[in-house]
Amino acid sequence: MPLPANEYQGSFLGRISIRRNQVISMDGNHEQEMEDLELFQKHVADRFVDLVSPAEDTASAEPLLSIAWLRRLLDTFLCCESQFKALLIMGRDPSHVVKPPLDRLIPELLERSVKSLDICNAVCNGIESVRHCQKLAEIVVSALEQRPMGDGQVKRAKKALSALVLAMAADDKEGNHKTPERTWSFGRRVGNKDRGEGNFRSLSWAVAKNWSASKQIQAMTNNLVAPRGGEPTGLALPVYIMSAVMVFVMWALVAAIPCQERTGLATHFPVPRQLGWAQNMIGLQEKIGEEWKKKEKKGSAGLLEEMQRMEKLGQSLIDFTESFSFPGEAEKLEEVAMQVGELADICQKMEVGLMPLQQQIREVFHRVVRSRTEVLEILEHSGKVPSPIM
Amino acid sequence: MEQPPESGSGSGLVFEEAEKIILRWDSTASEEAREKMIFDCDRDEVNRYLQAVDEIQRSMSTASISSTSEDQKSNNKVNNSATIQIAMARLEDEFRNILLIHTTPIEADSLTDPSSSYSFHSTDESLDESLSFGETFDARVKQQQEDEEQQREGISADSSSFSHSSYRSTSCIREIDLIPEEAINDLQCIAGRMISAGYLRECIQVYGSVRKSAVDASFRRLGIEKLSIGDIQRLEWDALETKIRRWIRAAKICIRILFASEKKLCEQIFEGIGTAIDDACFMETIKGPAIQLFNFAEAISISRRSPEKLFKILDLHDALMDLIPDIEVVFDSKSSDSIRVQAAEILSRLAEAVRGILSEFENAVLREPSRVPVPGGTIHPLTRYVMNYISLISDYKQTLIELIVSKPSAGSRYSGDPTTPDMDFAELEARTPLALHLIWIIVILQFNLDGKSKHYKDASISNLFMMNNVHYIVQKVKGSPELREMIGDDYLRKLTGQFRQAATSYQRATWVKVLYCLRDEGLHVSGSFSSGVSKSALRERFKTFNAMFEEVHRTEATWLVPDSQLREELRISISEKLIPAYRSFLGRFRSHIESGKHPENYIKYSVEDLEDAVLDFFEGYPVSQHLRRRSQ
Repeated sequence: MPLPANEYQGSFLGRISIRRNQVISMDGNHEQEMEDLELFQKHVADRFVDLVSPAEDTASAEPLLSIAWLRRLLDTFLCCESQFKALLIMGRDPSHVVKPPLDRLIPELLERSVKSLDICNAVCNGIESVRHCQKLAEIVVSALEQRPMGDGQVKRAKKALSALVLAMAADDKEGNHKTPERTWSFGRRVGNKDRGEGNFRSLSWAVAKNWSASKQIQAMTNNLVAPRGGEPTGLALPVYIMSAVMVFVMWALVAAIPCQERTGLATHFPVPRQLGWAQNMIGLQEKIGEEWKKKEKKGSAGLLEEMQRMEKLGQSLIDFTESFSFPGEAEKLEEVAMQVGELADICQKMEVGLMPLQQQIREVFHRVVRSRTEVLEILEHSGKVPSPIM
Repeated sequence: MEQPPESGSGSGLVFEEAEKIILRWDSTASEEAREKMIFDCDRDEVNRYLQAVDEIQRSMSTASISSTSEDQKSNNKVNNSATIQIAMARLEDEFRNILLIHTTPIEADSLTDPSSSYSFHSTDESLDESLSFGETFDARVKQQQEDEEQQREGISADSSSFSHSSYRSTSCIREIDLIPEEAINDLQCIAGRMISAGYLRECIQVYGSVRKSAVDASFRRLGIEKLSIGDIQRLEWDALETKIRRWIRAAKICIRILFASEKKLCEQIFEGIGTAIDDACFMETIKGPAIQLFNFAEAISISRRSPEKLFKILDLHDALMDLIPDIEVVFDSKSSDSIRVQAAEILSRLAEAVRGILSEFENAVLREPSRVPVPGGTIHPLTRYVMNYISLISDYKQTLIELIVSKPSAGSRYSGDPTTPDMDFAELEARTPLALHLIWIIVILQFNLDGKSKHYKDASISNLFMMNNVHYIVQKVKGSPELREMIGDDYLRKLTGQFRQAATSYQRATWVKVLYCLRDEGLHVSGSFSSGVSKSALRERFKTFNAMFEEVHRTEATWLVPDSQLREELRISISEKLIPAYRSFLGRFRSHIESGKHPENYIKYSVEDLEDAVLDFFEGYPVSQHLRRRSQ
């Protein structure tokens, strides 16, 4: 019953002629509606069970907020979205989207969709800075893998590590990314040829100047209000569910991947605990929220699991490089070798996983665009044109 | 200086010398080393340093064939690697410095070709006024009520021209030299050594960061903005049109000049070292900017659809389509797949948007709800807008024929839906889908106008209105060869028949009753001595005729037929029926009136008076209550 994410690529409108205003008798369909609703909630709940990481970290389990986990999160979104769209569009009188309460809820959902698109773009852009860290880490690995380990390689590693640690500690403010170039040869300045380092923003964000990820998330949670029981059309609930899922997914992405302006990122969401389908999602929210609060104080670059580990390793290795002198103690060298191995492993995960992650985010982007277009078409054809400020 | 056994090179630089040189330039160790750049010194200094690096490298690779012990070998290796690291750190700085010195953002003006080509399309009413449907049309009609001057000048003169300029400043890939040749040689020297020492990654990092800043600066110069999708959805369309125009120009420069040149630069610097490296550097440099560039076009392609956006979106589509071959050339490596893919996706979305907008347009024309009847029965603003719109569509025929692939969706025959006209597409089998759409648009325009004509209280003006509007449609079609070719002469004939029919209906509605006054029956009384004509009846006839004619004259002088030829024809047609009838009536019966009292009360007008009066019709001006009279 749950369809794989890519089966819903085709346009729904190709299959159902919405323009013909097929009016289906509501009476006979009410039961069907309730059943669909139940199924949808169950479906969502099931998908979130899969996302909650098991207590013991088995080899196959994906840690929370790792690249692999994020990819599954996005899969979850795509699945829920397919189901939601089916529920909203198929076999229903299209004019219901302009009746209350959907006449208010749908435009709000569309507004959130637009914000999601911007977040997708910002996160894809942010992944580039993760990749940048990966490249620096690869230098470290390459240097510290040399045998015997000499002063030269350690110095080389230290330089790259400083840059890495700096890159990861950067705040998200627009374009204020400290780059390795600011630490030219340990603080040497090029005499009176100082080329205005301040203009050196090799990793500036490619997003609009005043755009703020945390503000976008905040705006998305505005009017996210669970419908009270007994709503006339019963579609208010699926809309709420889908909106909540959308907000959660976007929020998790923003928490994991560095992108512009995340200070003040909300850590609390107004999803009522008693909603059955939401239990696991709320659990995840709380976990991630806790982590975020911890990290925000230290000003780190994001909760991506691989980045977290990289950061720890980086700190430890920097200490090593600072205290190293040839030939070094055997025990210490062994320990370092293990850490370097782990770092290499992280780099490998990134090398293999970041591109597919970006592609998947693009897929989410496309799906959201498509759904939005279709909903807009329905709104057009049901005669009521919503405000153009959308 | 002693010669250690390992150094077997003939370069003239022994190992210790080399080591000394490297250490001398260690910027962590000496103030002097920090203050100067090697590559700013004379050529000899540069060469010595490079040879020194080579020597150290060489000794590292020949260490294995020496006769020294394992320990010593290991020590040597460690020493050498330390020295190499110092050299590489230094070279990295030198590399960066050379790049920085030669970083100048692109000058947009110097790149554009002053002889850009323009093409003009003129329309009667500027579509730039972004007419929207509904209330705006009512408002425009009301404005027309106040502004009769404009009504007269209506369609004949092209009051505004809508310029559609296409920038041909960059029509093909044109690489420029971003960095002078000397500097490139230096960079090559450094890069080669860094890479063979295994410091490839550092090299890529430095290169990428400096060049990317340069590209970012060029972007700012070109006016490429960072806008979020949210921002773009909120902007007014006028503002967006300007941005799109600017983007098209900038994109051509970026892809054909800026990116192509960066690519060439990478190839030059990393020549002969292997394509993976120059590709990696290229990607580091332009991936972010390229995505930023395309994000704007993407945001436009997903913006909400409304009719006024069609032509700018077509422009964007065409510009991007034009760029695709160059995009494929510039981004030809595997690692730039995502960029090519994104460009293709945007193109496809733009095409979808075009189809969607056309559909929206058709919908809007069908449902356009304005109810205020156009005063004087003249051409409705909707008619003008739609005909101008489809004229423009025919100008974009080349692209649209490719994009519009399916027939209009609504309006199958006998659908039974009273709110939609019927149309049999089977008759028009041989036509392109675009042509079918255009015909369909005319059909629904007429349908809508027909509905509007019913808002007039009077059948005469209702018909006049239809006559005017359908005639306008015919004129517009005839005036555009592409449009005419797509609509087809058969359909044109049908339309012509329709406005002639409307003209006839008008005449019937107005004049039958007037001419009825001039009939023979009912005037003759049998058995009367005085020539058998009832004088009272005759007087009544004359009075009625006068009153009716005056009424018609007064009313229909304020009606408007904007097209002068049509106006003439209509008047002639009226005259042909009116004048002979009146002349004959006068001829037969004037003596009876003139023989009675106050003939001037009954025979108010001469034939010439009537002929003159007819000239007042459909001018759109009120006339004085009393017709001119010939002096008695």
